Amino acid sequence: MSPVLRLLAKRLVTSMIVLIGVSMLIFSIARVIPGDPARIALGPNATAEQVENLRERLHLNEPLPVQYGHFVADLARGDLGISLYTNRPVTRDIAQFLPATLELIFVAGLMMIVIGLPLGALSARYRHTWADNTIRMVSLLGVSAPAFVWAVILMLLFAYFLPIFPIAGRIANMHVVPSITGFLLVDTLVAGNLRAFGSAVSHIVLPAFALALSGIGQAARLTRSNMVETYDRPYIEMAQAYGFPERRIARRYAFRPSMIPSMTIIGLDFAAMLGNAFLVEAVFAWPGLSRYGVAAILRKDLNAIVGTVLCISALFLIVNIIVDLITAYINPRIRHSQRA
Amino acid sequence: MKRFALPLTAALLAATSLTALPAAAQTVLSLDEVPVGELDPGKASDYADSLLMFNVYDTLVLPAQGEPGYSPHLAESWEIDGNDFVVTLRQDVTFQSGNAMTAEDVVFSYDRIKALGQGLSFLFANVTGIEAVDDHTVRFSLDEPYSPFIASLVRLPIVDKQLVMDNLAEGDDEMGDWGEAFLSDNGAGTGAYVVVSHNPQEETVMEKNPDYFLGVPDAAPDTVRLRYGLEAATVRTLIAQNEHDISSQWLPPEVLRSLAGTGAQLLQETGGGAFYVKLNTTKAPLDDVNCRRALVSAFDYEAALQMVAITDEAAQGSPSTGAIPVGMFGANPADQILTRDMDAAREYLEACEYDPADFTLELSWIAEVPIEERFALLMQSNFSELGFNAQIQRVPWAMFTDLVTNPETTPHVSQIFVNAVTGDPDTLLYPMYHSSVAGTWQSPEYLDDAEVDELLERGRTAMTDEERDEAYSALNARLMDLAATIYGYDRQSIFAASNRVNVPALSSPEYAFGVDGMGFSFRLMEMTAE
Repeated sequence: MSPVLRLLAKRLVTSMIVLIGVSMLIFSIARVIPGDPARIALGPNATAEQVENLRERLHLNEPLPVQYGHFVADLARGDLGISLYTNRPVTRDIAQFLPATLELIFVAGLMMIVIGLPLGALSARYRHTWADNTIRMVSLLGVSAPAFVWAVILMLLFAYFLPIFPIAGRIANMHVVPSITGFLLVDTLVAGNLRAFGSAVSHIVLPAFALALSGIGQAARLTRSNMVETYDRPYIEMAQAYGFPERRIARRYAFRPSMIPSMTIIGLDFAAMLGNAFLVEAVFAWPGLSRYGVAAILRKDLNAIVGTVLCISALFLIVNIIVDLITAYINPRIRHSQRA
Repeated sequence: MKRFALPLTAALLAATSLTALPAAAQTVLSLDEVPVGELDPGKASDYADSLLMFNVYDTLVLPAQGEPGYSPHLAESWEIDGNDFVVTLRQDVTFQSGNAMTAEDVVFSYDRIKALGQGLSFLFANVTGIEAVDDHTVRFSLDEPYSPFIASLVRLPIVDKQLVMDNLAEGDDEMGDWGEAFLSDNGAGTGAYVVVSHNPQEETVMEKNPDYFLGVPDAAPDTVRLRYGLEAATVRTLIAQNEHDISSQWLPPEVLRSLAGTGAQLLQETGGGAFYVKLNTTKAPLDDVNCRRALVSAFDYEAALQMVAITDEAAQGSPSTGAIPVGMFGANPADQILTRDMDAAREYLEACEYDPADFTLELSWIAEVPIEERFALLMQSNFSELGFNAQIQRVPWAMFTDLVTNPETTPHVSQIFVNAVTGDPDTLLYPMYHSSVAGTWQSPEYLDDAEVDELLERGRTAMTDEERDEAYSALNARLMDLAATIYGYDRQSIFAASNRVNVPALSSPEYAFGVDGMGFSFRLMEMTAE
C-alpha cells in the first residue's frame, strides 16, 4: 500500500471513531440542556396532554441509552428525524442549508490562500520595510477583531456609504436559477446565466471577506515568520551565494517549506469556519447551516442539533484529512514516515 | 499576484455592474420577521405565522376596522341559537386551487386544528361539536354560553379540504398526517396572496391571487417577500438603501429612532397587549399582598416608558392604566395612568409581615428579549430603595417555560409581553389569571383567587357588551387590589418602513384592526413607487 493510501486509511479509521464519540456526546448534551423540547416545539399554549404525547413520540421518557439506540437505528436508514423548529426532515434542512455555508467558507478559504499566503511572502521578502510593516499591521487588525465586527464594518463601508455590494441573501431576487448542486456560483454557470453569476459573486464578496479576514491575517503572519526563519537557513545563503535570482529563492526555497504550517492552520481555520460562520451568516442574511444550527440550539431542537453537529464534525474531519494529505504531498518527510 | 489581480478586479467589477440592472416592472413589498414562518395555519401562533395566515387564508369573520366588534368575511352572517352559533357562508368564494368553498371545508378546518392540538387550538376548547347543516351553513355547538366565540373565529383559517385530502401523507390516525407535510410547504386557502415559495427560516414569496373573491386592488403589492431572521444592522442598511420596505417590530428602539431620523416612516399597531411584570404570589415575601403592593407602587412607570420611546410621538408602549389595556372591555380611562408613589410603597412595606433585608428577590429576564435586562436593572434600582436586595437572572425562554411549571422554581419576578390573540379580553386575561391555568409562561403569579375566577367566568359568559364591560371593570379593580402583577405599559408595536408603501391599517386609527398581525393584510397596502 502506498504511504499516502496508508495515511488515508489511518485517518479514516480514527475519524470514524471520533464521529461515533461526537454523536454520543452531542446526543447526551442536547438532552440535558434545560427546557422541555416537546413543550418548546408545541408552543406555550399546548396542553400538558399534548406535550406528553409528543414526549412519547420522541421517546423522551425512555432512558438515554434506549433513546440513543432509536437514534442510531434511524440514522442507519438515513433518517435524522423531524426538526421541531422548522417541522421538516432534518436531512432536508441540512441539504438545503449546507451548500450555502460550504460555498461561503470555500470562497473565504480561497481568499485566505490567495490573499494571506502572498501577503506573508511579500512581508518576509521585504522584511523591515514599510511594506512589511503595513502588511503586519493589517494582518494584526484582521486577527484581532472577530468576523462579525468586520461584517458590520464592511457592510457600513461597502453597502451603506459606498453602495457597491448587496448585503442580504445569496442572489438578487430577479434571478431564478434551477438548483442542481446548491452552489449558486456553480448553478448559475451551469445554467449559462452570467448575469445571475455576477449577482451571486457580488453577494458573496462581503460575507466571505468578513469571514476570511482573521484567517488571512493569521496565514500572512505565519507565512512571514516561517519565511523569515527560512531565510536565515544556510541553504538560502548558499543559493544567494550562487547568484540565484531573488524571486526564485523566495518562491522555491523559502516559500514552499514555509507553507506547511500555514496550510495546516488554514485547514483548521477552514474547518472551524463551518461552526463560526454563524454571526456572519446572520449579519448578511446568508441562509446557511451555521445559523440553522444555532437557532436549533436556542430552541432545543434535538434532532436538528444532533444532525447539524454531526454534519459539521464530519466535514471538519474530512477537511483535516485533506489537509493531512496536502501536507504529506508538500512535505516528503511525512510521506516517507508512513512507510515504517 | 499581479497575474491574478487584474482578472480578479475585472471579475468583481463585472459582477457588481451586472447586478446593477433595472428591476422588473412589478411592485415588490419586502419585509421581515423573526423565524420561523409557520405556513401550516393549524399550527400558526407567532407573529410571522399570523402574517402568512391572514394573507394566504381567510377566516369566517374579521375584526372591524377602527372600531370594536367583528364583521363577516367568508361568513355572510351568523346567529346565536342557545349555546350554538350558526354561520351562513358566502357562496362566491373559491380556493386558490379553484375548488369552491363549502361548509365541509369549515368543518374540516375545525376538525384539523383540534386534531393537531397546536397553535391556537385552545381557543376552541368550549366547542363540543360542529356540523355542516347544508353546503353553506355551519353549526358550532358549545357546552356553555361563550361570548368570545365569534372573536375566536378570527383564528380559524379555512383550509381547502379537497386539496389537503389529495395530499395526505402517512400518520397516526385514519386521516394520516392531516396534511401536515403538505401544508408546511404549500398554501391551501382562499387568501388574497398565493405562496410561490416557502422556506420557514429564510423567506416566503407570495403573489397576488387574481381570483380573490374580494378582488385585490392594483395598488397592492404584486409580490411580497417575507424574509426571516434579518439582523438589525442589516435591516437598517437595507431600508436606507431602499431595498427593504417594512421592518419587524423587534428592532431595538435606537435603530428605529435612527431610521426615523433618516426619513423612514414609523408604523404602529396596538393589538390589545401589555408588558407585564409577574410576581410569584406563592413565594415569600411576595406571598404577602402588602409586599407586592409596595413593589407595584415603587416601580418607575415613567422611566420604563422612556426606555421604549422612539421619537417624541412614537413609542413601543403607552401609559398603563391598570390590568386591562386601554380600549378593551373593563379598561380604565386613558388619563388614569399608573405612576410611581414611594410614600405609598413605604406604607405598604410597613404593613408587610416580612423584613425586606431578609430576602433576595430573583429578577428574571428573558435572554432573547434584551430590553428586559434594562427593565430588570430599573427594578433592581427601584426595589433597592425599599431595602430589597435583588439578583438579576438571565433566563433563556426554553428554560423559563420549564421553571414556571413549579411555583418553587418560578422566580420572584418574571417579565413577559402578552397580547390578546383574538382581540378579546378573555384570551388575554383568562390564561393569565384563572386558578385552573396557573404555572404557564403567562401565569407565573400562581394566582388563586375565587373572586377573580368568578369574574373571568362572568366575562366570558355575559352576552351583552354592557355586562361584559361591567364584569371586566370589576376584574380590573380586583386584580389591581391583589397586586400580583406590575402593569408596566400597554404595548404598541412599531415598525420602520420605507416611503414606498402606504399602510392605512398601521397608520390611521380609523383603519386599524384590533388583532396582532391583521394590519399586515397586504391587499390593503398601497405601493407608491416601483
